[in-house]
Amino acid sequence: MKALMSLGALIGVAGLLLLGGMIFDIVPSTTIRLVEGYMPMQLLFEVGCYVIGFAGLSYILNAMGMAIPRFWQGIGFWVFFLMYLKYRVYPPIPFSVRAMYGTVSLVAVFMWVSANEEDWQKFKQPIMNVLDAQTGMNKLLRYAYLFLLPILIGGFSYNAMMPKSEEPIELRTVHPAPPASTKVHGKTYTLQTSQNPYRVNTEGKYDQEYTNANIVEQGMGRLMKPNANPWDEKNQGYLKYVREGGEIFFQNCHFCHGDNLNGRGLHAFAFNPIPANFTDPGTIAQLQETFIFWRVAKGGIGLPNEGFPWASVMPPWEQHLTVDEIWKVILFEYWHTGYYPRTWD
Amino acid sequence: MGLLTGKRVFSVVALCMMVGLLLLPIVVALPSPAIGEEAPAVGDQAKKDGDKVEKGRDVYYKTEGIVVGAPAPKTTDGPKDYPRYNFESRVLIWFANQQHLYYGSFVLAVPIFCMIIEFMGVVTKDKALAKRYDQLAYDFIKISLTAYSLTAILGGILIFTFLTLYPAFFSYLSGIFRPVMHIYALMFVAESGTLYIYYYGWDKMKEGFLKWIHLSMSVVLNVIGTLLMFLANSWIGFMMSPAGVDEQGRYLGNIWHVIHTALWNPLNLHRILGNMAFGGGVVAAYAAYKFLASKTDEDRAHYDWMGYIAMALGVAFLIPLPFAGYWLMREVYAYRQQMGITLMGGLLAWLFIIQATMIGILFLSTNYYLWQAMGRMRGAEKYQRYIKYLVFLLACGYMVFITPHTMVMSPAELKAMGGQQHPVLGNYGVMSAKNGGINVIITTTVLSFVWYMRGNKVSTVSWAKFGNIFMGVFFACAYINIIWLAIYGYYIPANVRVGLSVPQVATTLSCLFFMFALNSVMMRGAKQMGPIEWGKISARSQYALIMLATAFTWMMGLMGYIRSSVRLFWHVNEIMRDNSPWAYTHTVGFAANMISANVLFFWISILFVFWLGSLTAKKVPVESKAGIPGSVPQPAASH
Repeated sequence: MKALMSLGALIGVAGLLLLGGMIFDIVPSTTIRLVEGYMPMQLLFEVGCYVIGFAGLSYILNAMGMAIPRFWQGIGFWVFFLMYLKYRVYPPIPFSVRAMYGTVSLVAVFMWVSANEEDWQKFKQPIMNVLDAQTGMNKLLRYAYLFLLPILIGGFSYNAMMPKSEEPIELRTVHPAPPASTKVHGKTYTLQTSQNPYRVNTEGKYDQEYTNANIVEQGMGRLMKPNANPWDEKNQGYLKYVREGGEIFFQNCHFCHGDNLNGRGLHAFAFNPIPANFTDPGTIAQLQETFIFWRVAKGGIGLPNEGFPWASVMPPWEQHLTVDEIWKVILFEYWHTGYYPRTWD
Repeated sequence: MGLLTGKRVFSVVALCMMVGLLLLPIVVALPSPAIGEEAPAVGDQAKKDGDKVEKGRDVYYKTEGIVVGAPAPKTTDGPKDYPRYNFESRVLIWFANQQHLYYGSFVLAVPIFCMIIEFMGVVTKDKALAKRYDQLAYDFIKISLTAYSLTAILGGILIFTFLTLYPAFFSYLSGIFRPVMHIYALMFVAESGTLYIYYYGWDKMKEGFLKWIHLSMSVVLNVIGTLLMFLANSWIGFMMSPAGVDEQGRYLGNIWHVIHTALWNPLNLHRILGNMAFGGGVVAAYAAYKFLASKTDEDRAHYDWMGYIAMALGVAFLIPLPFAGYWLMREVYAYRQQMGITLMGGLLAWLFIIQATMIGILFLSTNYYLWQAMGRMRGAEKYQRYIKYLVFLLACGYMVFITPHTMVMSPAELKAMGGQQHPVLGNYGVMSAKNGGINVIITTTVLSFVWYMRGNKVSTVSWAKFGNIFMGVFFACAYINIIWLAIYGYYIPANVRVGLSVPQVATTLSCLFFMFALNSVMMRGAKQMGPIEWGKISARSQYALIMLATAFTWMMGLMGYIRSSVRLFWHVNEIMRDNSPWAYTHTVGFAANMISANVLFFWISILFVFWLGSLTAKKVPVESKAGIPGSVPQPAASH
């Protein structure tokens, strides 16, 4: 048990040193890389390691007779977590999300330190000591709080009320609800029921499962399925259409959406927000093919009211591409990213 | 003996009357195809007269029917269709509706609790405990009785508000639902009659066969209450996903189609569970308030126990609630993709983040209460040191659950982030991760319950060690399975991903049922480390109960608003357009303020109801007081 706790303590100390280095800019945040494809779990795993590490550290210090008071354990962990979110995670997390996480972690710390009466008494003892002010130091602290707290609250109020020249925050609706149907090149398409005419098997029949089996495998590096190479000119059916869609993509779309379809094309950073990242599981992976068809055909100016603040510069591609070309380019986007279009069956 | 027989006869007659009242609406409804009856007649006439009868196609069922109703009115903004005070009519109707719903939910939920608690009292062998259960059930129904009158009054206010502010819409809706509305009114009469007999007959039918009759009355009462709610749900179901009418909104003669819309059943299930959880929360808050105001240990013990029972019942219905909600959303998506996206990915998506926050608060409060409650048991200390790990699991699950897909940020932050989605946290914003998050939270709540249930006990069965290991492994496997499925969801087609929620839910429910069952078997004849010292619980636990109830109330207000808002500018989706000046979606801030105002009003008014109830406080019989906790073994309901 002691050995395990010692190991935990070691992890805790190492983690703290690393984070300290990141805070003071001695160590870059990317020292331990967030690995693409594993980032969300890596983050949770790291925080889990810290928790175990701190438990070990607390145990060892306790055994050495140098126990950290519960009050400082609670405050310390909360501050650590805020620092972790601010300095460890990259790219930077918007303040609104850090505020949410900060509040949850504060509640969690409160739940931990007050889960039983003994711990709660330990936690609030320093506060009670200052309030009771039985010693000179505590008296001094109490007077200090008497002055500092109103100043602090006043400062917050001033900061909150002071007119600012910053750009306002935006509640952008990235995927507004589509219309029931859309008219492209004179033909009406019902979005709930229409299908990509090129998602076909070798016999030319619409076949979702066949095409799903031939997409790029997800994961690190995104691997092409064996015997499913669309650049092989002998291929017919689905893979042939993927190739044709790819050609259209690289002639028209990749300047903004990037050659890896991650929204980082040549012109991407001229825009804010940058173009959609198709490799993100929150974009095309969440949507029906017909939704993409509508968005590609109508572009940014075709966004409905719900799409406020309409922050999209995508041209209405129906003015440049045929219906067939739009369907093919969508086929390519799904093939390349390894995602499956949403279906409702 | 003669008197007893007289009572028996009276009870049987009362019960028969109630069943009769229950069946009355059905009898009335038999000829009620008043419209339906005419329809074939018209049809026959049509055959004779040629093709004079107009037929329409059902917008949902796609069946053909003979048009027997007028088309939905095309309203215009003006005093004719939208008479108004110098105020936003929508806000008035919102307020009236929400208050009616709060009270309606409460008075529908509490009798179900009464039924369960009274039943527990009847089957419990411990006489002192049985009396306590009986008294508790009586206390519950007493609170409900005053609230019942308020519900009826608020219902009247709601109808008058509709009639005076939205006459065209109400006229159309009542035209479609004419037979159902009469049945509803009659069922309300039946509900009132049953409730009064049930309440006032309590002391007369407290023993033996008569008690069973009394218990049967509570069943009848709840059947009527539930049917009432189903009927009311059919109206909102029709407004969201109309059926039984053609494209112009003309009634096609089949009332069942109008009632049984695409969203009716999911709404029914969701509302039953929601009402129960809400009712439990309100009663728990009442008990918490009384606990905090108690001056004697005896009162504290009683209200501590009452709060625990109410919380346990509420949470029992809270646990399946997210799954019922998931089904409802699935059906919404299946009905109209746009509606689903507006709700969860578009205009109203931020409200869903707030909803997730509230759900998290509910489960966190529950866990916190249970940990505090372990403080009143000797022997539960052994679990205390592990609570920090439960906090960690809950916090991680919660953070994943509330992470928005589209983050609120300034353009500068957007640029620094390098895209609309955060490459790390953006992954938490989609359904697959969120399903994992909420299932981890619920499983952890189950684990807290199991710890609570065995807090002051040590299993004496020979296979206790094996049982403990099995339980530990089961929970560990459950967590791994839930998290693994959440990750796997990113690598499969969306329709399969939606299906993954089934094994995740099954895992959580397996923990709930198997572990509860196993724990009960293991704790049979267990060695007691000490009694549960009712009343010896921290004040923080009671604030947790109040928080639980407030979060329930707020969430109900929020979800009602979301459900109603998703119709956007339609009174009846795609059938009758809202042409009032208020056919726009409120800002998130305004909606939140409005919901808070509703919550505040409800709590102030329900405090008044509680106060009224206390004026007529029935003295607890001496013999049942003798069994009040403190000196009593733990209640059966708790374990």
